[in-house]
Amino acid sequence: MSPNHFESENKERWERLQQMLDKVEKKGAKENAGVEELPTLFRQVCHDLSLAQHRMYGTRLTDKLNALAITGYRVLERRISGGWERFADMALREFPRAVQQERGLFWFCMAMFWGPFLFLAIWTPHDPEWAMAILGPEGMISMEMMYGNGTSPMDYMREEFGSNFAMFGFYIWNNVSIDLRTFAGGLLGGVGSIVIMLFNGAHIGAATGYVHHACNPETFYSFTAGHSAPELMGVVISGMAGMRLGLSIVKPGPYDRKTALVLGGRKAFVLILGAVMMTSFAAVIEGFWSANPMAPAIKYSFGAVMWAGTLAYLFLCGRQRDEA
Amino acid sequence: MSASTPATTIDTLQPVELADGVEIHLRVAGPAVRSVAWLIDLLIFVGVLMLWGLIAGLISNVVGEGIGNGLFLLGLFLVAWFYNVFFEMGARAATPGQRVVKIKVVSVSGAPVRLPQSLIRNLLRVIDFMPAAYLFGLICCLFTRRFQRLGDLVADTVVVYDDAKPAEPAAIQVNAEPHPPSQMLNRAEQAAILQFLERAPHWSDARKMELSDLLEPLTDRKGLGGLTRVCSMGLWLQKGGRK
Repeated sequence: MSPNHFESENKERWERLQQMLDKVEKKGAKENAGVEELPTLFRQVCHDLSLAQHRMYGTRLTDKLNALAITGYRVLERRISGGWERFADMALREFPRAVQQERGLFWFCMAMFWGPFLFLAIWTPHDPEWAMAILGPEGMISMEMMYGNGTSPMDYMREEFGSNFAMFGFYIWNNVSIDLRTFAGGLLGGVGSIVIMLFNGAHIGAATGYVHHACNPETFYSFTAGHSAPELMGVVISGMAGMRLGLSIVKPGPYDRKTALVLGGRKAFVLILGAVMMTSFAAVIEGFWSANPMAPAIKYSFGAVMWAGTLAYLFLCGRQRDEA
Repeated sequence: MSASTPATTIDTLQPVELADGVEIHLRVAGPAVRSVAWLIDLLIFVGVLMLWGLIAGLISNVVGEGIGNGLFLLGLFLVAWFYNVFFEMGARAATPGQRVVKIKVVSVSGAPVRLPQSLIRNLLRVIDFMPAAYLFGLICCLFTRRFQRLGDLVADTVVVYDDAKPAEPAAIQVNAEPHPPSQMLNRAEQAAILQFLERAPHWSDARKMELSDLLEPLTDRKGLGGLTRVCSMGLWLQKGGRK
């Protein structure tokens, strides 16, 4: 069969498919008369394309059929995302389960973040030199302005509603961006994530230690108690997401590195999504609750509830019951 | 594997096998065209932020400075991290810059790009940008078969040329009589001659003759005579081996 004969014999069918695809791609589901014919027509075109390739019917014909097959595949493969139901499933089951499954990574990242934090928080009151080096003069001044000796927990409230919102926007921009960078840094073999976690832990630890050295701890703790749990655990989990990515390059296991990266990326994606969720939630609390002029006792108990809730969420949610 | 796609191809066509068993070819886009798209997007990005800054400034004046600042930072966050995701999830799967140079993002399998993939490839953009001006991304592009930057590798995506409608054949009558070739031709040779016949109308006469002169061992003559002879063979093959 000559190319021209082949073309003239099937042309009408190809045109019908092309028209149908154009219609479905432009108008979506509204215009769907005769759409049940689409899979059959698509498969026939796939068959025609194989034939044309095998019989070497020339680039014009194969290009045409190739384009038709690509469009057909794209239209048939178009999926509708799961919407809110899918999101709820991710938040309540898939994410905590992903954290529970990466037990080793979890403790590793906990150590990377809390290690320098605890060291500096405990060491600084005895020897503030290190903390001063990390915070820098500007950092120290701003710490003293916010939590200095002259302040009381009641001082640190914002005058108007608008400033709460401004701080909320700032925390989203700043803190969630740090999470996302921690995740992306994992692509450098995990080194980027580790460096960011260590630095973050050291910085927050130095600030905490410096408060004990030079400021009023009660002001500091009553401000930070509420949002500390989701925010700090969000940092740890975004580190896990980065490490998951980094480990699939360093230690790809039974796969080649490229496949390992794709698979690792899917796992890391769930983790970073959860971390972003937690950090955004922390930004809401930090923006609208933490600066409230309430008694420290109320704020401490709220903080305790938040810590218990965060840990319970991470370790109890989504557990399969018949695991034993 | 058909002879039209030898294993060591030097063009940018990438074969992909669909679940339906057929092989399609994606034309992947290289770093140069993607840089152009990125520059256009950068201009739009800066423009959007300036506009948003103005709007937030207006809101500051009306509602209060805090609200304006907060809104500006939220917008900055969304645009800085999710500009590309927003457009890649659209019907055309391309940012405005990519639309200008007619490229778009798809899965390696040829399927439309999905939200997790788009998020992954764009969150990892910061690493591709390092140490400056997308150096890591460029190096990675040059060392992968499909011009994938690091984010593309993890998300399993490629940037391809939007499939333009193939050109219709030039309807030009060839002044030659069908004539069988002087010796048996194998399938690849037949295909080459048929393609020559199909594409020749787009070339200058000198170019046509330059190519047909290469076939002197087959046609026994040079110049116009050789060209006519090649066309005759092509017509003969096109008619399925009949006069």
